[in-house]
Amino acid sequence: MTAELPPRTRGVIALLESNCTVCMICARECPDWCIHIESHTEVVETPGHARARAHNVLDRFAIDYGQCLYCGICVEVCPFDALHWAPEFGYPGTGSADGDGAVAELVHERDVLATWAAEVPPPPPLDAAAEPAPETTATRPVRGGSGTGGRPGALRGRT
Amino acid sequence: MQSYGGIWGVGGSPGASQAGPHVLAFRTVTVSTPAERGLRLDWGTTFRITVLDLGLACCGVEVMAAFDGRGADDLAALGIDPVRDGGEAHVLVVSGTVTDVMLPAVVATYEEMPEPRYVLSVGACSNTGGPYWDSYSVTKGIDQVLPVHVAVPGCPPRPEALLEGLVALHRMVSS
Amino acid sequence: MSAASAELAALVPDAVVKAAFGQSTAHVPLDRWSTTARFAHDDLGCLAFDWLGVEDAGRPGASGVRHAVLLHVLHPDTGNGLLLRTELAAGEVLPSVAGLWAGAAWHEREAAEMFGVELAGPTPHLLLPDTFAGHPLRKDFVLASRVVRPWPGSLEPGEDSTSSPSRRRTLPPGVPDPATWGPREGVDVTAAAETPSDEESQP
Repeated sequence: MTAELPPRTRGVIALLESNCTVCMICARECPDWCIHIESHTEVVETPGHARARAHNVLDRFAIDYGQCLYCGICVEVCPFDALHWAPEFGYPGTGSADGDGAVAELVHERDVLATWAAEVPPPPPLDAAAEPAPETTATRPVRGGSGTGGRPGALRGRT
Repeated sequence: MQSYGGIWGVGGSPGASQAGPHVLAFRTVTVSTPAERGLRLDWGTTFRITVLDLGLACCGVEVMAAFDGRGADDLAALGIDPVRDGGEAHVLVVSGTVTDVMLPAVVATYEEMPEPRYVLSVGACSNTGGPYWDSYSVTKGIDQVLPVHVAVPGCPPRPEALLEGLVALHRMVSS
Repeated sequence: MSAASAELAALVPDAVVKAAFGQSTAHVPLDRWSTTARFAHDDLGCLAFDWLGVEDAGRPGASGVRHAVLLHVLHPDTGNGLLLRTELAAGEVLPSVAGLWAGAAWHEREAAEMFGVELAGPTPHLLLPDTFAGHPLRKDFVLASRVVRPWPGSLEPGEDSTSSPSRRRTLPPGVPDPATWGPREGVDVTAAAETPSDEESQP
């Protein structure tokens, strides 16, 4: 009997590597300590530009699904939307006939996490009955943003 | 194949004998072994596995849903036979948090299983200790004590994920 | 202050009733615990036992020294509750109230097992395995798993697990400072931070 999975079903977490800046927030916030990130810094010198820029290059990004409790904290906390939920659930780890390595197979490295990205569904549509977000109102106020104590901003009274 | 002439034997009923002086009724009885009769048993083709669910915690409810829920008619197609006794089961499904106090009971159930026996670990707690990995009373994964042949991830996994785990077990065993 | 607490305060002169967030707690000294429980049971009619719990009564930094025992009992007809509280120092014996409410016996045994509260009489293990040493819910009981397991978040962006840290690595939540607990207790951590190889091998 096939049933349709609801939107935002939590099955597996996919990694969009192009978005990851190796900020380490997901690894720090994970309550199970199941995200393993390793990286190194690379310095890029662009001729004709002012100074050399350093950026972090991802070496290893692994999620241990044997440990993962599917709470979604890493997905929520990522500031760059590099982690996404995908509804795929059929990925058991199998070991040898003697019973070795089944749980170890559940550690998904970055290549496997990238394959899950194909399973990520588009985000569900917003609720039609909800109030429009203040950011989408047509009138642009003279002063935007959140304002200060003395001067109200565009969102005052609406969030 | 046995051949005999009715209950009275070849000689016929008493008093109705047409033979001469009473001859000991000679009954030819042949027996043959089942194999000689052409019977062939192939235990490999009809793959029915007896499964015991050791439902220790939340994952146990998902296994119950898999075995008794709306997808339970799939079990016959998958050849899965849930049983309640460790002495009959070939597959042990460990579902739920394995606490240090409960560990001897899980091991005792495994020990009374007949060969060939397989262990399916369902859920994060049974795989590695899961969210309770730092607890003072939790065994960090049943694979510390028993051999685990298939590990199903999830917290808890869907019942369908558990059935996929059993499919993976079948693939592993029949290869 | 609830009516029941006021009545109790009248019966037990040593009781101090404190009210906070709509809940009244009657604080009694340990030597008045049994008599206060008897007053609550016999004179105030609180025949229904709700729960008996223990919490750490020390200020931050002094945890694991004093424990507070709380007892919540109910009047079966009105449903009004009475919350009693007493404090124990290490080594003081908690008198049992199981003679008045039989259900309290289990809660007292659990308190003895989890917090190390001393009870009169033998206290075999209730929930923990027989080989377990220590009292796990005390504030000074450290979760050893968190100390032993390396935290993936201790790495900084741009580091991998083989590099030695340029400064002392952050500890995960729940892990005490290695200078205050564990095999490196008492070792000067500032000196330790200058020797990265030692830092890597710390448990």
